[in-house]
Amino acid sequence: MGQFKVLKSLVVDSLDTITKGSLKYHLWMGFLTIVILIGMYCYSIQLDEGLSVTGMNDRVSWGLYISNFTFLVGVAAAAVMLVMPTYILKDIDFKQAVLIGEGLAVSALIMCIAFVIADMGGPAVLWHMIPGIGVFNFPKSMLAWDVIVLNVYLFINISIPFYILFRHYQGKEAKHNVYLPGAILSVFWAVAIHLVTAFLYQGLQARPFWNNALLGPRFLASAFAAGPALIILVLAIIKRFTEFKVEEKTIKKIAMIVTVAAQINLIMLISELFKEFYAPTHHSESAYYLFFGLHGKTALLPWIWTAITLNVIATAMLTFNKLRNNLNVLYLCCIMLFVAIWIEKGFGLIVPGFIPGPYGKIVEYLPTGIEVGVTLGIWALGAFIFTILAKTAIGIELGKLQFKSKKDTV
Amino acid sequence: MKNKNLTYYALLFLIIVLSSCKNEGEYHSVSDRIKAEEKPYHGTLTSEELLAGRDLIKITEGEHTFLIPERKSQIKSFACIECHSKPLSQMKGTDKAKAHWDITINHANIETMDCATCHNGEDMNNLKSLTGRNIDFNLSYKLCAQCHTTQFEDWKGGAHGKKISGWTPPRASMTCVECHNPHDPGFKQRWPAQFNTKKAIERNEGLDH
Amino acid sequence: MSENKKWYSLDLGLNKKKGSSGSCGCGKTEGGCNSHKEELSAEEFYEAAINASIGEERHKDGFEQVFDVKMDRRTAFKKLTASLLIGAGAVSTSCSLTTSGDAKEKAQIDWEEQFKGNYKLMTDDEKKKTVDRLMRSYELRTGKNISMTAENAAEDVLFGYAFNISKCQGYMDCVSACVEENNQDRNSEMQYIRIHEMKDGEGFKFDKADDNYYHEVPQEGHFYMGTQCFHCDDPPCVDVCPVQATWKEEDGLVVIDYDWCIGCRYCMAACPYDGRRFNWSKPEVPENEVNKNQHYLGNRMRKKGVMEKCTFCVQRTRKGKNPACVEACPTGARIFGNLLDPNSSIRWVLENKKVFRLKEDLGTEPKFWYFMD
Repeated sequence: MGQFKVLKSLVVDSLDTITKGSLKYHLWMGFLTIVILIGMYCYSIQLDEGLSVTGMNDRVSWGLYISNFTFLVGVAAAAVMLVMPTYILKDIDFKQAVLIGEGLAVSALIMCIAFVIADMGGPAVLWHMIPGIGVFNFPKSMLAWDVIVLNVYLFINISIPFYILFRHYQGKEAKHNVYLPGAILSVFWAVAIHLVTAFLYQGLQARPFWNNALLGPRFLASAFAAGPALIILVLAIIKRFTEFKVEEKTIKKIAMIVTVAAQINLIMLISELFKEFYAPTHHSESAYYLFFGLHGKTALLPWIWTAITLNVIATAMLTFNKLRNNLNVLYLCCIMLFVAIWIEKGFGLIVPGFIPGPYGKIVEYLPTGIEVGVTLGIWALGAFIFTILAKTAIGIELGKLQFKSKKDTV
Repeated sequence: MKNKNLTYYALLFLIIVLSSCKNEGEYHSVSDRIKAEEKPYHGTLTSEELLAGRDLIKITEGEHTFLIPERKSQIKSFACIECHSKPLSQMKGTDKAKAHWDITINHANIETMDCATCHNGEDMNNLKSLTGRNIDFNLSYKLCAQCHTTQFEDWKGGAHGKKISGWTPPRASMTCVECHNPHDPGFKQRWPAQFNTKKAIERNEGLDH
Repeated sequence: MSENKKWYSLDLGLNKKKGSSGSCGCGKTEGGCNSHKEELSAEEFYEAAINASIGEERHKDGFEQVFDVKMDRRTAFKKLTASLLIGAGAVSTSCSLTTSGDAKEKAQIDWEEQFKGNYKLMTDDEKKKTVDRLMRSYELRTGKNISMTAENAAEDVLFGYAFNISKCQGYMDCVSACVEENNQDRNSEMQYIRIHEMKDGEGFKFDKADDNYYHEVPQEGHFYMGTQCFHCDDPPCVDVCPVQATWKEEDGLVVIDYDWCIGCRYCMAACPYDGRRFNWSKPEVPENEVNKNQHYLGNRMRKKGVMEKCTFCVQRTRKGKNPACVEACPTGARIFGNLLDPNSSIRWVLENKKVFRLKEDLGTEPKFWYFMD
């Protein structure tokens, strides 16, 4: 019963925190709300008219939504890179970063789910997917696996920080043996969500561009570059706008992770390019389309070359200690990497899988305004949720939010 | 303790993975299934309904026995002897000669074929084989089969031509003349029945919308 | 078959109990799915649900009277949820006293259709009920009658198809017939069949072929080849569907329950043969062009946001007829039949002609063969 009271007080306190803030904070939240509303309006149009309002068609049947979904699964998985050293290796450095990282994972996962729902033709019958009520094609369908692993990962990433914060809120230390099993599990789980999402594509013999063994590992490598890169940026922002102390040491350690992952990612990219272009077969056509265009259709060229340029420059710069240790350069590199991997893992991965089609037909894909609107709305939703989570977490960690029993307040 | 837990997790994972391995039933390929389950069809589904009210003749060619449509009643000017009361040679020069003005032969060339290759001037109610034997109009496929032997083989097996029945027994096949005009048997060039404007837009102006 | 073990479906009175469900799904057993027993278990379920909710005092009290209105047996749970939603006004029409009986019935049907189970797992009795509802719903909406059936796969039948490349002249009569037979969306000009015009001497170069030509055919120096759903024996589309909205019937047809499909389009990505189509917007067919002889798994009207595909005209083939494309083809290039029957034409083709299939290396085992004269 006592716990219940604490919980109630926590909810009230956090509501209090998130509704109060500086003008900048209010402007930021107001801006996000407007974008979310625009996204919802676009989605209502899509619901009404069907997916024909998007740029997708029978040839390119997945587009911007699934691209973002794929990318965000990677971001969500990256939280693990911080969990492992902190909880398991007991490296105290990351402790502050972990809460932020897991908050990021939670909002990324919510965005993932939102993107999948936005992509569905029949959101009204989504209950068909709920195990127990619906019929689940488990274990055959990789999408069924994905639904399970994503939801479990979401649960883990909500419950661990919640437990820790809940304890801290009451001014107690979080018990090691309570959250450690969860933390260990989440390490495996993060790899799982990413591999399973890769298998979603990798397992399709119909799409040679995806059907290669490197897809899964490359997913992981790019995720562990883009995810922590985003965490660095978020930490930088938090450091700047709040009193939350983020040590430079922490950021530099994360930067190390980003660097190694980006390097591995680049090696895999080279391996992939070699395979596609040294002895090109019929199955290399998608890669040709992506990198050089096919039969005069070149919609993806500017995107992918931007991505590769950014990727190479950022990785090269990160490789040098001197540059990496300069925080401003580091932030720039992180932005570049993030954008590069967003293109590469989103657009650059999903769309060419469909081009050319099974019978060699090329239909190019460009998202429509409505699609972009919904996408922006979902990103804003993610940012909104993250801001709320981070603000509460920071409040608790700074000790501003603390449970006061009735006796104290009276 | 921790190791034990990990082992359990690993075991559980292994079980799930193994259970998700493709379990495609007893057969490796569709031909294996066909071989194993093959059985002449005597089910409840038949083509009788489709064939109801049609005049059909049962024929046996080689090992195939099936139905073909009766032809004579379909020919407007049958029986031929209603006009061709005398042998053809004696009818030449009379005004009746113009009766078949709309028929031009576009079948092989004149060295190989003319009217008399198939029609018997002495007995217009029957067709005539290359050796001069009578062939009934209902069995006109026999005439075609004299030259078009490979097509005849395919037709008997069911690989050439169309069916009147559905996929269910009894089998009823169209004969050559249902699709091919014997005097002009080739298929003609014509416009396709469909054009997909949406597909054209998608492909040519894919990004302009 | 242990197949029903893979389905984690809680029975809320939506589906019948486990046990015999496998026989509908794989159809391997006799057509009749023991509907008698199912009915019983559902009744029991109903009883149990009532008992659970009101305990011992179940003698014609107000509660039961409410529950006893003319509704079929998928009651208890649904009603409980329904009443919640009614409270929210979501289905206010269905309980409003001022609306007409028709509107009420329509709302009732819509409600039951929204929460029915997966067709694959339905008993024959449940199949019949949903078909009846759909027919009634069509009547209520348009005032016209349609005939819809739910025949199961016949025994000792495995459908197969052969396509004679030398015969096809590219007239596309099959495409027209298919669109008309299967009530495909006229707005988006959806077509299941594609006819590829290929250049002589270049082999099967699909990427160079034109599948949307408009000139007189056959064109000099070209040959024609049709593709559609190949009804693979090991269909990748079926494996990937997260909700088992698509499956292979025992007679080999790969079918979709349009009402169960959630529209994720994973099957579309998984199909190597471009066999699947998606309803990007609400499909529309002019009322006078609607083919009213329908099958639940075949040409009944689809809604927006669901997949559809060639079903070898299940509404025709399960009555013993040939698919519409076979019947329409003026050149006899299309052969259809029962692969298990050694006396069928399709078997003669497979055994006496040189046949091949597309992309055989993918291991999908299509039941669609090509051959030449």
